[in-house]
Amino acid sequence: MSALKRVQQWATFARIWHIYDATWQNPFESAALLKKYLMGLHKPIYHPLADCGDHVVVINCSEIALPGDEWKKRVYFHHTGYPGGASWTLAWELHKKNPTLILKKAIYHNMRGNLQRRYTMERLHLFPNESVPDEVMKNISNQIRQIRPVPKRLDHYTEDEVKEFPKLIDYPKDYIIR
Amino acid sequence: MSIFLRNVNVLSRQLLKTIHNPRTADIKHIKRWVAPTLKELKRRRDKIGPEPLRKRSEFLEWNYDAEIYAFGKRLGEEFDDEILRKSLIHRSYVIQQELKQEREETTTTTSAPTEIAKEDNSHLIEAGKEIIKNYLNKALQNQYPEEPAEALHKYLTADDMLSHVAKHLGLTDLILSEDFPVENSTLARTFEAVIGALNESSGLERAELFLKDFLLTQLSDKDIFDIWEPEKPYEYFIGIAKELGYKDVEPRLCNESATNTILANYQVGLYSNKKLIGLGYGETIENAKDTAALDAIQKIKLQNFNKKQALQ
Repeated sequence: MSALKRVQQWATFARIWHIYDATWQNPFESAALLKKYLMGLHKPIYHPLADCGDHVVVINCSEIALPGDEWKKRVYFHHTGYPGGASWTLAWELHKKNPTLILKKAIYHNMRGNLQRRYTMERLHLFPNESVPDEVMKNISNQIRQIRPVPKRLDHYTEDEVKEFPKLIDYPKDYIIR
Repeated sequence: MSIFLRNVNVLSRQLLKTIHNPRTADIKHIKRWVAPTLKELKRRRDKIGPEPLRKRSEFLEWNYDAEIYAFGKRLGEEFDDEILRKSLIHRSYVIQQELKQEREETTTTTSAPTEIAKEDNSHLIEAGKEIIKNYLNKALQNQYPEEPAEALHKYLTADDMLSHVAKHLGLTDLILSEDFPVENSTLARTFEAVIGALNESSGLERAELFLKDFLLTQLSDKDIFDIWEPEKPYEYFIGIAKELGYKDVEPRLCNESATNTILANYQVGLYSNKKLIGLGYGETIENAKDTAALDAIQKIKLQNFNKKQALQ
């Protein structure tokens, strides 16, 4: 095999490291997106037996946004195996205990339960905030686009910016706001 | 011993024939003695060991004249019968025959001397070698620069390649030589002799077309870098870049991934005058640089050479 063919193979199966910012993103929609990168489904060479999945580094996991009243209504079930060992944890409780767990479980459940799933999960690196170790950061060479654009919250604007924002109408000067 | 062996073989073959093709209407079961008998026959066969390899010409129905006639016809070539026969007789075979005749003379004094071939194919081999060399030079020099052309020439005229072609043309059984099974070098020499014979029978043009059809086509589907590769590709390319008209060649790191792991991958592009001339990959930057140079050599040197030749 010539050197050219050898490196062609090397480059074809190169592992790419992606980064994804989970701020204000729906974890369940994100899971469907990230799964493709983890399993290598986005590659033309994909095959269930080909080890062609990529690494995904997710930052700001604690900033995820659940739709509707999911924080209050979504329940995570766990059973210790002993009688009376069942427990139900609400999403907001789980998020308080471990801010990366909701996203992790979402991605885990988005994949089919086969032998490959746990190895694929090994390629997922979750971080609750923006601080990522340097040795991980060095590997990254691609950013995955967020599903939804992150809007700027009103309280993040300065007072001047709010004041200078163009308005069509304004309250009359003698209007009393209760 | 050999008669015994043959008997065992014949017997077991007959037995197997009746067992494997039972006329279902007649035979409802297999007799109790069949299995132990077959087992015993198998045991005896195994004890004797495998049958020795035999020359095809030792078989009863071997017809050398027909084979010689069919050889040329099969390939669509007009061979002179005498010359083709001569091209298949090796020096070792002639010596063997002479020794055999001497031995016969000493044992039986009164029998008439058997006719033996006097002439062998050594001068046809020389002629064939020369034709192959000249033709390949002509064919390859038009297609490739000097160094790869030389490597390809060497690759095509190696014993391995010539014997491969000769074997698949069906020369193995036709060769008359001392060694059995026929060695690769003998096969290769015979191929050269056959080329010499074709040259004498139908002329140089046919011989060259024959080489084009059967020898040169062996390059089809093969990668040039499998056969020839510069030892230090980057330095080699820098050396020839100027004469190819590429100034200030510089390698640039285009992409990298997983640099902190053992699966690191780098993509290096060779640029000249802000234009990409070669792209390479590798597990280190040095490796990627070398493969980028190989890519550039393939794209510029080898392909441009073809185009230039086509224009002329």
